[in-house]
Amino acid sequence: MNRYAPFEWIAAMRFMREGLAQTLLIIVGVALGVGVIVFMSALIAGLQSNIIRRTLNYMAPIVVVPPEQVARPQRGDEKSALATLVQPRSQQLRSIDQWQKALAQIRRLPDVAAATPVVSGPGFALRGDASNSVSMTGIEPDSYLQVIGLGDKIVAGRLLLGASDIVIGTELGKDLGAGIGDKLRLTTARGGTETLTVAAIFDFGNRGVNERNVYVGLRTAQNLLDLAGGVSSINVKVQEPFAAETIAQTIQGQTGLQADSWIKTNAQFFTAMAAQSLSNTLIRLFVGLTAALGIASVLVVSVVQKSKEIGILRAMGTTRGQVLRLFLLQGAFMGLVGSLFGSALGWAFLMVWRGIARAPDGTPIFVIAVEPKLFLIAAAGATLVGTLAAVIPARRAARLDPAVAIRG
Amino acid sequence: MAEDRDTLRLEGVRKSYNTGTPLETEVLHGIDFGLARGEFAALIGPSGSGKSTLLNVIGLLDPPNAGSLFIEGREAGRLDDAQTTRLRGRAIGFVFQYHYLLPAFTALENVMMPVLAARGRPDEEMRASAAELLDKVGLARWRDKKTSELSGGQQQRVAVARSLAMKPALVLADEPTGNLDTKSADGVFEALREVNRDSGTTFLIVTHDPRLAQRCDRIIELVDGRIVADHPNSPGGG
Repeated sequence: MNRYAPFEWIAAMRFMREGLAQTLLIIVGVALGVGVIVFMSALIAGLQSNIIRRTLNYMAPIVVVPPEQVARPQRGDEKSALATLVQPRSQQLRSIDQWQKALAQIRRLPDVAAATPVVSGPGFALRGDASNSVSMTGIEPDSYLQVIGLGDKIVAGRLLLGASDIVIGTELGKDLGAGIGDKLRLTTARGGTETLTVAAIFDFGNRGVNERNVYVGLRTAQNLLDLAGGVSSINVKVQEPFAAETIAQTIQGQTGLQADSWIKTNAQFFTAMAAQSLSNTLIRLFVGLTAALGIASVLVVSVVQKSKEIGILRAMGTTRGQVLRLFLLQGAFMGLVGSLFGSALGWAFLMVWRGIARAPDGTPIFVIAVEPKLFLIAAAGATLVGTLAAVIPARRAARLDPAVAIRG
Repeated sequence: MAEDRDTLRLEGVRKSYNTGTPLETEVLHGIDFGLARGEFAALIGPSGSGKSTLLNVIGLLDPPNAGSLFIEGREAGRLDDAQTTRLRGRAIGFVFQYHYLLPAFTALENVMMPVLAARGRPDEEMRASAAELLDKVGLARWRDKKTSELSGGQQQRVAVARSLAMKPALVLADEPTGNLDTKSADGVFEALREVNRDSGTTFLIVTHDPRLAQRCDRIIELVDGRIVADHPNSPGGG
């Protein structure tokens, strides 16, 4: 008997040791539940941050473009328009009005990490008999690399964009049969044509991107798209990807330009993520509930089994509060110990998963960040759940009338 | 009036069950009696006479419906649950027909339990006095055994030692030997007598066994919830 432990603790430990099989079973149950929760949470958090990271690799969180052109119907008087049917206007490629001013304004915003001017438009890449339609992006490499991680994706050559250089994706290189130093022709619908040298080849790990995207210098793109001195959009990187929509609205309000966040342009993707988070929450809820019911049922049985002993304890001067705490402690203990084993179990699952989930080249498919915070939350949560689960049995034990308990 | 020298005093104690319903039954119809310090009394009576009910009322396990109950001169009827629990723990020891020891604990720990519950944490003095009590009931050798490893008589003697742990003024024993064979019963009874002689603790023993009653100093007979006889007895003289 530990001389420093209080009565409730000593009795709680002995009661649990007495019903060792039950206690161990429920601890294993809690451990499994916590293990699953820890594993699932880490997995889904890792999965989501990985998807977001990969998506934002080749996509700017916010793209600022000139406001849409709208057709203004002619109006007769105040009330009625002459034309009842208004055909929407085709959107021609235009420069952002006074883009240098807008860029500076955007860069000053506190939540903006970086911003870069971009000239983009459609074109054709031609080499010999092969031709491919491409989406051309004219960039200022220094500032562009701060927004889009293009630099890490270069698999061949160097990312130098002189007036006659072009950077293409692996798929396009294959389609055109072009490698580093080869020349290809880029033409646009506006009549611009340039012969460019492949300076580098990138691989974003996305077939569509690797096939369609080409990068040229800002000047080159301006010439090809007949947009001298102008830019078609400003790409913005933000500190916190999930705050992109509010920042986009701020930009829109301040510059009068149209700012589209990745949250708005990928609504489907976000719905899918939200659904995933919701199902994760539901699974956690039900696993937690199951563990709680397990603890509660074990303690209810224990109270029934020990009702005479509890009555005697009460007859000997044990207070209701002591009896209450005695059972709450058991619940808390089973929850805590279960969660410790569960955290270890979850961690082991994650390690195994790391070993299994690897791309063919041996690199992990995605990185799961094992956060200590997750384990702390799991331990605290399980202890709380255990205590709450013990409330009903504990109150039942504390309410036992000693005379009835002994007589019955 | 309760006299200060009395350990226990009952005045007009009535107890009913199912009060306020058509099934209301009065079990005790006005009980008056007292126990002086150091008395060793037997409470006898046929089954259903209200002996156990009376014991529960005296033991502060069941509140009386009417009348007054004094423990060591203190009116016990007006205390709240916490105060009752405290007074019960301090002043009254229980020995039941069944020992009700906690099987998860050793004999020594079971004897320590009431003091432990009252003080909150174990200490050496607690352990020493529990060991002394076990010694007194002749179980010094068995003190570190789990109670499930003891014989029925030994278990009941542990229960006797436990009832004395708080140095109560009054020990209530409900058929303490009812489950035991004659030899074990004698051992337990002797243990009770010895404690009574050595420490002057007051005992009230409910029993069916006339042989046992004859070995007490006083015999109180309860029939249909009324005391019908109450006379001194000289043990060994019958």
